[in-house]
Amino acid sequence: MDREYTIVGTRMTRTDSLAKVTGSASFTADLKLPRMLCAKVLRSPHPHAKILNIDTSRALRLPGVKAVVTAADAHGVKWGVFKYTQDHPMIAVDRVRYVGEDVAGVAAADEETALEALDLIQVDYEPLPAVFNPEDAMKKDAPLIHEEYANNINVHVHIEVGEVDEAFGQAHLVREDTFHAAGEAYSTLEPYATVASYANGYLDLWMPNAAPHVRAKALSNLLKMPLNKVRVRRINVGGHFGSRSEVSPGDLVTSLLSMKAGCPVKLVLTREENAACTRQVHDIQATIKTGVKKDGTITAKEFRVVYDGGAYSSTGPIAASIPYYVYEEAYRFPNVRYNGYRVITNKGIRGMYGAHGRAFLCGNEMQLDMIARELGMDPMEIRLKNGLKVGEETATKSVIISGGLEEPIRRAAEQANWTEKRAGLTEGEGIGMGCVAVMCGFPMGFRSGSACYVKLNDDGQATIVTGICDTGMGNESMAIQIASEVLGIPVEDISLVNADTVVTNLDPGAYSQAASFVGGNAVKRACEDAKRQILGFAATKMNHPAEDLDIRDRTIISKTDPSKSMPMRWIVREAFFQGKPIAATGAYMPKVDFQREWIKKPYGQMAGTFSFGCSVAEVTVDKETGQIRIPHFVAAHDCGNPINTMAVEGQIEGSVQQAGVAVLTEETRWTEGLLLNPDLLEYKVPLACDMPEIEPLIVCSNDPEGPFGAKEGGLTTRMNAYSAVVCAAHNALGVPLNEFPLTPDRVLKALDAAKGGDKS
Amino acid sequence: MERFKVKLQLNGEAVELDVNPSETLLETLRDRLELTGAKDGCGLGACGSCTVLLNGLPTRSCIVLTAELDGSEVSTIESLADGTKPAPVQESFMEKGAVQCGFCTPGMILTAKGLLDRNSRPTKEEIIRSISSNLCRCTGYKKIVEAVEAASSTETPKT
Repeated sequence: MDREYTIVGTRMTRTDSLAKVTGSASFTADLKLPRMLCAKVLRSPHPHAKILNIDTSRALRLPGVKAVVTAADAHGVKWGVFKYTQDHPMIAVDRVRYVGEDVAGVAAADEETALEALDLIQVDYEPLPAVFNPEDAMKKDAPLIHEEYANNINVHVHIEVGEVDEAFGQAHLVREDTFHAAGEAYSTLEPYATVASYANGYLDLWMPNAAPHVRAKALSNLLKMPLNKVRVRRINVGGHFGSRSEVSPGDLVTSLLSMKAGCPVKLVLTREENAACTRQVHDIQATIKTGVKKDGTITAKEFRVVYDGGAYSSTGPIAASIPYYVYEEAYRFPNVRYNGYRVITNKGIRGMYGAHGRAFLCGNEMQLDMIARELGMDPMEIRLKNGLKVGEETATKSVIISGGLEEPIRRAAEQANWTEKRAGLTEGEGIGMGCVAVMCGFPMGFRSGSACYVKLNDDGQATIVTGICDTGMGNESMAIQIASEVLGIPVEDISLVNADTVVTNLDPGAYSQAASFVGGNAVKRACEDAKRQILGFAATKMNHPAEDLDIRDRTIISKTDPSKSMPMRWIVREAFFQGKPIAATGAYMPKVDFQREWIKKPYGQMAGTFSFGCSVAEVTVDKETGQIRIPHFVAAHDCGNPINTMAVEGQIEGSVQQAGVAVLTEETRWTEGLLLNPDLLEYKVPLACDMPEIEPLIVCSNDPEGPFGAKEGGLTTRMNAYSAVVCAAHNALGVPLNEFPLTPDRVLKALDAAKGGDKS
Repeated sequence: MERFKVKLQLNGEAVELDVNPSETLLETLRDRLELTGAKDGCGLGACGSCTVLLNGLPTRSCIVLTAELDGSEVSTIESLADGTKPAPVQESFMEKGAVQCGFCTPGMILTAKGLLDRNSRPTKEEIIRSISSNLCRCTGYKKIVEAVEAASSTETPKT
């Protein structure tokens, strides 16, 4: 039987919100250290060029300039998540590969001096032929951007399961379609910033990051410094969504400047630099072939997906696989061939996105609707028929331990009045459904797990020490809430020390949906150990069996005899007296197959568990203007069990904005290697007035592994909301929509194409 | 460079500044006065993270020059609480879960405060229209709208 939790599952006010509403919460750009210098970065004006010479002498002579760094000050180490993708020097050595690439850095007494110094650095370039489109880049005669990547193919992920060709041969119906989605900008409201402070051989760093331990390790490699001398410290992060997962070129430049100047240095990127010179989202083209039986059962899938990877590898094979995995984690298909190509082009660097794989996921879901229509099936029925259930395996052999697709589909459909609405649609109205499942944690070697320390202080309050990182979603509050539930003390009695690499233990970070499932589990286990110790002392002190004792509201109580109780702080003090202060450790390592490798062995248990979700969007389309509106949106997300109900709703609602509404407006636009819309006027992040009425639905599958049954807080919506909108638009228009985002011009083009009209 | 002497009523206190002509109000607040609650999100008045109340009206401090503000009244997020007690609009942002990463929050709260000062009982549509001046990338705005609605019901209507 589930016991009633005291604080887990409530709508708790987040512990970080007071500092944020009063403006006292510090972000990196808010930091001010004594003698701090201002940094600026000189960037490449060319998409592809050789660097013949860099002359910094005039800049160095400018009064107020304290340091200038180039690749000559770095150590020739290249960044890449995997050994086989280490290709990014972070500060250009002898070649630049995208407009905006970091070439030199300046630290000066003030911003004006730093900017003036940039103008005094003379860089001689020899422009090289460049290529901006992945299909062109793969051609034989295309300019080679990195010597090591033949045909500019950075990674090729090949997955093959079952007898694909045979299954297509036997299918009742086969469809093949191609979809293309423009890249997107993360548009975190906080532009990137780094503060580096080097003194006495130690480097302290603050920056918006999603995993301090992973970041410190990357910088220790890049700087050739021992890991214990590179300390990444806790700071508020103004949004992440995937963009702050990896080390950023600015981290290296700022560190080198601080080491050279001997002073703290702060680099704050402009909004435009943040867009053009930090990571952005891949453009994706997906060709999807599906075979089904007469009853709608999917029997075969074949994919060719091309990812525009920009100039460097970044997360390489992960980015080139995730859209496929979140699809196979939702649906059953026994035969599949996936070929994902991540291709290098002379465009800005790219990374993972919370809403990653628009072309792939929308394509699959809309194609499923087309198939359902041909078979005379309801789109909901075909999804229910093919959705994975508990106990089943995905195509690449991950077992589903909780949830399954059925309940999110049924809940969302019921809330949206799916069947009635579909029957009563009028001209220009549509309703659509999008489904997905998402891994919670994935194989990152020994860094996949998290460990937490807890100590009980002399007044009975607790300090929790964890590597859990909060980039805005409420992970810090989540950790405190879990500790409060286990220890039986109120949230205000708990202090949190987190995300500081010298103090905290390893944690995988705020990505791969690991924070609550992995980090939260470690916090829970540490607090359970502390509680066992407390109850052990209490049993002696109260002369009562430990098994019958519990802690409620700072008091040790007997579960069976309410007259027996004692303030918890007495027990904590008793432990100090005996020289055995209450201090505990807890760790959690997700049960994944560590033999699994993204390219060499893409088979085996991918994640500890999977969350499932279904979104239902209603749209109206004006066929004259091509304008789509979304009056109503239902999103059902199986989070296992919510730690903070309000925080989970917030994740779902934000996801509707970042995926569902974004699929109407958001795209990065390029002319050759130049990003045309790096600012927030031309890049259209949805506003309050663009938002539908949202109904977030929390589905509880009570995961057997997760802390209090929890999985993750809302990523399925971030991945299926755009499919729901696209399927609804397809439902309204009845014509294929192959180009995303669904801006009015693209909608009109699709309508024209269906009429056999102008296809230009 | 020519300097400008500017007198402001800032967060209820008179301040005298000596600024250069190109200095924005946001730079004055953040760099000179260490009031970092106003954030620099875009530098061109698009996102609203730098919103302050200028003579009572929500204003993007990144596109206003301090040199032009002599005699003006400026309120920043740091002045909103009554000592350690958050203002009702701050309380409702916390209670309704309208705060995630917190970067847009000061600007969003001051935009809401500016609305509620002019119109203590706004309709939902008026709230949506008003906060559509500010970007939030985390929340989908739903809980922000709910927070402003809740704050409006706790404010005493001005007659």
